[in-house]
Amino acid sequence: MRALILALLVSLPLAAPAAQSGEKPSPRGDEASARAALQARFDAALRADVPALDRLLADDLEYCGVSATCSTKAQYLESVRNGTRKFKSLVPRVERVTMYADSAVLTGKVYALSIGDGTERQVDAYFLVVLVWRDGRWQMTNQSSTLLQPAPK
Amino acid sequence: MRRFAAIAVLFAVATTLSGTVFAKDDARVEALKTAEATRFQANVDADAKVLGQVLDDGLEYVHSNGEVNTKKEFIDSLVSGKRDYVSTTFEIQGVRILGDVAIVRGTAKVTVGENGQSRDLDLGYTDIWVWKDKRWQMTAWRSARMPPPAAK
Repeated sequence: MRALILALLVSLPLAAPAAQSGEKPSPRGDEASARAALQARFDAALRADVPALDRLLADDLEYCGVSATCSTKAQYLESVRNGTRKFKSLVPRVERVTMYADSAVLTGKVYALSIGDGTERQVDAYFLVVLVWRDGRWQMTNQSSTLLQPAPK
Repeated sequence: MRRFAAIAVLFAVATTLSGTVFAKDDARVEALKTAEATRFQANVDADAKVLGQVLDDGLEYVHSNGEVNTKKEFIDSLVSGKRDYVSTTFEIQGVRILGDVAIVRGTAKVTVGENGQSRDLDLGYTDIWVWKDKRWQMTAWRSARMPPPAAK
């Protein structure tokens, strides 16, 4: 028994790097499922479907809008729930998808007609989205946007 | 005694493995912060060689004015002087590593030279880095202009 314990302890420094270097791609979803997850997220935002968004957004979400302010998942969901963030139409156009070991980066444009304070506002933006594969599904962990044509400063 | 020894061994294994993984992540975060600082400085220096190393070949760079550049376009614009970053100060607000991908979020104050005059931009930014060829390479950049203080 002592010999076994000794052997295990001696082998630890060798085992640890081997374990961490095993960065094999996890069995994540494919590109089509990543695209579908993003479409589902935009659709849920248009419907103001908080339960669906809760499932589609990662708990560590960073949502950075066109005004450079960022929200957590709780803040984002609350803005949907209380109607601060409301859309009449939301049309995404995915232009590029890059798949990584357990994440996907999607970029493109989104054409949004937002409703707030009784007025409608067209907000067209480039989006950058990172999806992460967790709990057997894609979850959005970051969205960052830039206006297609910002107002001159 | 045997049960105690077995538990002790398992504890030692778990501690060693988690400790080395955390140490590795810490090292990668530090490497990423260094790469970010190097990249910002290379922008100011218009250093094509450094930018060639720190930018991913598939870079998609969306400026705060909505202009979009590939890696080649971005480097060429700096080297030619078409785009002149006079100075940049930045603050990293968050770094997250997701396997071979990292998300960096921060703010930057950028002074841009244009037609003999300079212009200051306050930006919020997100950039995506990928671990490739044993180094971090930035593959996407998005920035947005922060509202002026009075409008906040």
